[in-house]
Amino acid sequence: MNIAVLVKASLDTNMLRIDSSGRLLIDETPLVISEYDRNAVEEAVRIKEEKGGKVVAFSVLTWGPIQRKVGDAENALREALAMGADEAHLVVDESIIPGNVDTTVEVLKTLIEKFGPFDLVITGEASMDMLSFQVAARLAEKLNYSLVTFVRKLEVLDGKIRATRDLEEALEVVEADLPAVISVTGEINQPRLPTLLMIRKSFAKPLNKYSLADIGLAELASKMKVKDISLVTITRKNIMIEAESLEEIADQLIEKLLSEGVIKG
Amino acid sequence: MKALIYGEKQIHVLDALGFLESLKALTGESVEAVAVVSQPKNEISAEELKGANKVYAMGVTSSYASFNGVLKLYNELSPDLLIGAATKNTTEILARISAKLDVPMLTEVTELEKVNEDIILKRNMLGGRALISYVFSKPLILTVPQKKFKPPEEGPVPEVTEYEVAVENKVRVIEVKPKEKGAVDIEAAEIVVGVGRGFKSKDDLNIAFELASLLGGEVGCTRPIAADYGWLGEDRWIGISGKKIRGKLYFAIGISGAPQHIMAANDSKVIVAINKDKNAPIFQYADYGIVADLYQFLPVLIKRLKERT
Repeated sequence: MNIAVLVKASLDTNMLRIDSSGRLLIDETPLVISEYDRNAVEEAVRIKEEKGGKVVAFSVLTWGPIQRKVGDAENALREALAMGADEAHLVVDESIIPGNVDTTVEVLKTLIEKFGPFDLVITGEASMDMLSFQVAARLAEKLNYSLVTFVRKLEVLDGKIRATRDLEEALEVVEADLPAVISVTGEINQPRLPTLLMIRKSFAKPLNKYSLADIGLAELASKMKVKDISLVTITRKNIMIEAESLEEIADQLIEKLLSEGVIKG
Repeated sequence: MKALIYGEKQIHVLDALGFLESLKALTGESVEAVAVVSQPKNEISAEELKGANKVYAMGVTSSYASFNGVLKLYNELSPDLLIGAATKNTTEILARISAKLDVPMLTEVTELEKVNEDIILKRNMLGGRALISYVFSKPLILTVPQKKFKPPEEGPVPEVTEYEVAVENKVRVIEVKPKEKGAVDIEAAEIVVGVGRGFKSKDDLNIAFELASLLGGEVGCTRPIAADYGWLGEDRWIGISGKKIRGKLYFAIGISGAPQHIMAANDSKVIVAINKDKNAPIFQYADYGIVADLYQFLPVLIKRLKERT
């Protein structure tokens, strides 16, 4: 069972850098492995442990500047290796930075065909920075693989998978022929925390970097042009209610909510 | 301009019609809207779809069959726009069509505005901390949040026609288990009392239920309370993968404020945060913040509220 797992180095939503005039500094904001991609790695490694085969992690750098961000992307892949992936491949190219989901998927398709064949491609349901929920669907279409999105339970059977999809109003159990692309939700498993030994071992595993030309692709341009990224100005009042006693705090809060008209007197 | 709307159910068509109303108001261009829904014809009430010029009913249940139908219709009509409500299956179907036909797609467009001669589309990124904007150009595929754009109240009642589609066989639906429908619909609640990891046991949640019932609201929760501890059903889980609330008042109690939670609660008119950690991120998103131990403060708040009534 050969499994490709897709890992995004996502802007760290907890570490946003903002300057004194309230401008969001994307270039200075660090990247971190996207949360649900850790679930994808965990699921891939569990299947390998049960069925044998190998797990190959892929990533495409989508944020620049390259010099500052490439280390973060390598760390994201290193985390996948420490969790149990066998090898990792990273594409870094100026022409796809900042990246968009269409260009990213084009690169992932090429990588999967180059390093495959794979029985299964697993990724998180969405990346934490963009939340587009598109990668798995687009990639399956480009590769002409079966597609199963929003998977919270997965069984690998003979030549096919049985998966439970977590939809808004129902759980949908489907069977899909392999090869397949699946996206997983955060509920599918509890990602392991690599031990120090596993982290040390990960440095002996291959982590290769490529430009687009290295994998036989010409420059790519997204069809969706970004005009601007701006910080949402928080319009909350941010009033901290402080007083001598909890009773006074409660009374002040009740008064505020009454005057806002959100509770009834 | 020609638009194709896809809806799992007819109610989802309204979200897209609402977006088209806003777009029409900005461009002054007329829009011909054809809707295709997965529901069968007998479940569709044409009177409620004013503003659509025509409705096709596929009568299929899986996203795989629906994809075949939407793709076929897209190729027949060559629309300038393909729009759907941002449900999971709709996002999947539209992303497949976007990739197959190399038409760009935006997920969950929340705002549109006119700047000089350009129409600018905006969507959230970074867990709602930032907005990313794109210049609108045709053709485009997009999803819009549910209940965000107001559908037209007037317009001709569309004709509803059955539309036959092929069923895909690479993926087969074996079973559909409807999620337990609790009595709660926190998305419709005006007041929500949210509980997080500050609560130490399931029994302790009773005090939040007491507060909610005093205020005439519902109890919601963070991901760990529903998904990890299972103390409350997923119908109460507020998050980007859970429910999104937009009522008058949200009480965030013992909640630190993960971006995914904030994003799903931030449309509430007034937010109150109660947390014993004064550095909890939730306070940045609150109108009123109280640094206190919920176990001490909630009984006092409930007592004071009771004394007033």
